Amino acid sequence: MKKKGKGIGCTFYGTGYGNGFPDVSRSIAQLERDGSVTVYVGATEVGQGAKTVLSQIAAEVMALPLSGIHFVCENTDETPDAGTAAASRQTYNTGNAIKRTAELLLKEMKVTAARHWGVSTPGRISMDSGKLVHPENAAATLSYREVAMIKGQELLRVEDSFTAMTTRLDDETGQGNPYWPYTFNVYGVEVEVDTDTGKVSVVKAVCAQDVGRAVNPKLIEGQMDGGFAMGLGYALMEDVNLQQGHMKHDRYSNYLIPTAMDLPDLEKIIVEAPESTAPFGAKGIGEPVMLGVAPAILNAIYDAVGVRMTEIPVTPDRLLVALKQHEGKEGI
Amino acid sequence: MVQKVYQVHEIQQALELLHQHTHQAKLLAGGTDLIIKMREGHVNPAVLIDISSMDKTRIIEVQGQEIHIGSTATFSEIQEHPLFQKDLGAIAAAARSVGSPQIRNRATIGGNICNASPAADLLPPLLAMEAMTVLRSKETSRLLPLSDFLVGKEKTALKSEEMLERVWFRKLEDRSGLGFSKLGIRNALAIARLSMAVYLKLDATGRCLEARVASGALGLTAQRENEVEAFLQQQVIDETIIDQAAQVLEKTTAQRLAGRSTLPFKRQAVQGVFRDALSQALKTSLRREQS
Repeated sequence: MKKKGKGIGCTFYGTGYGNGFPDVSRSIAQLERDGSVTVYVGATEVGQGAKTVLSQIAAEVMALPLSGIHFVCENTDETPDAGTAAASRQTYNTGNAIKRTAELLLKEMKVTAARHWGVSTPGRISMDSGKLVHPENAAATLSYREVAMIKGQELLRVEDSFTAMTTRLDDETGQGNPYWPYTFNVYGVEVEVDTDTGKVSVVKAVCAQDVGRAVNPKLIEGQMDGGFAMGLGYALMEDVNLQQGHMKHDRYSNYLIPTAMDLPDLEKIIVEAPESTAPFGAKGIGEPVMLGVAPAILNAIYDAVGVRMTEIPVTPDRLLVALKQHEGKEGI
Repeated sequence: MVQKVYQVHEIQQALELLHQHTHQAKLLAGGTDLIIKMREGHVNPAVLIDISSMDKTRIIEVQGQEIHIGSTATFSEIQEHPLFQKDLGAIAAAARSVGSPQIRNRATIGGNICNASPAADLLPPLLAMEAMTVLRSKETSRLLPLSDFLVGKEKTALKSEEMLERVWFRKLEDRSGLGFSKLGIRNALAIARLSMAVYLKLDATGRCLEARVASGALGLTAQRENEVEAFLQQQVIDETIIDQAAQVLEKTTAQRLAGRSTLPFKRQAVQGVFRDALSQALKTSLRREQS
């Protein structure tokens, strides 16, 4: 017999290394002779979209199209360290470093322009469609390319960094600021449990994810789909089968991860609540999008058949045995 | 170490090479099982005879009242063949449940049979259809029921100079049907934890004239389940009978898998997989009665 049930799983997640651990991202920005900007940063693209999002952040500050940003990463010879692509920290931490670096570059460009114009107030130079505007004469403008030409042979190049604001928890009082910022997430799923075989199918799923600000909504949706698949595998399939220290499931023919055939369409809800310390309000969601999946599925199984599973993965063999024990108790 | 690889286009060439090299040679069709076993060092043939380009054994065709499938026909070809789209859809379903499209494009029915994994997906439906194997060697040819061909876990009655040329079984008669069900951990690319095929033939009153039930991954080899077959004989298949038949199968399972860690799961799951296969077979039998 097939029984349906619904469940939800809510999580909050602390971004970054946390607990006072030095969480530093550095980057370099350089104005090229053609007026484009090169960003050097040791952030690693692992498929999460770091290159895209971090380029977007630089482009936003510089008021340049994305094509005006050259992004150099994953090259320790050329780039300063921006920490690991881990702890869901690149958008927030390295995003902040790039934003600060780009802002510093812009400031230096204004200093150059002020000197060229003979004005003493570079801070009053404004920007309009990729050009610097004279503080007293709006008709006088300098393109980025012209600013680079004024500098001559010397390239304008600046470096800056960002360090996350966390502190170690006090062992005595438990006080402190272990993580900043936090990210919030909810999954809702509907499952169908085959009570004859113990097989669980997730038939419907929805994810609401707080992102601070959606720098790139398509990439966020991609991360949600990926996180959902990983969470579903974690809940229902993935088992290293450790026996006396040996991983018995040591290949993909026995360590199973879900295929497209095991995944329903995920309804994706992006919640925007800008974070004041984040670059344009944006926070990372790499890990958060997978955390709520397993609790939601286990709750839905409980709702469907009344069995509270306390061990994952909930494979057909485990669930069927638990189901029969449960039926035995109820005297069915 | 493989010393020599031959590619053959005619069965006679393959049989001649098998005659020369006997147990030192392995036939290579899709390679989806053999290459993995070779890489892991489980088999070390000195000679490989590549039969994947042997087109004449790739047939899927009707001969009178029989359906013949050549040993180098791939899972993809079986899955898509018009013969298996309607009443014999269980055969296409079993083929479709194997691996990925890439695997199904390479892997052959002959490999599935001769590799003789207890979980081989095509074996239960072929056993339920009482398939016959046609075994050829350079000198002779013999016919063996598939149930006799499978002698143990990854063990067959094939002699080292023989090859499986094709299998055949009788077409479905009126008021008969075939069902297949497989339980895997996921919906694609999964090895069967359990699988089952059920063939039913009803009389005009809906009574079961003949039931043939075959299981996969319920013992050392895919096999016919005689006790439940005998139970279904002459019964009108309704909910009560299905429940009782499932219990017969549970008993068989409990005896066969006694002491195995998989027993608590399989004794239950076998009933669900059986019900699914049986209901498909019943549906087809009833439909073939009306038409």
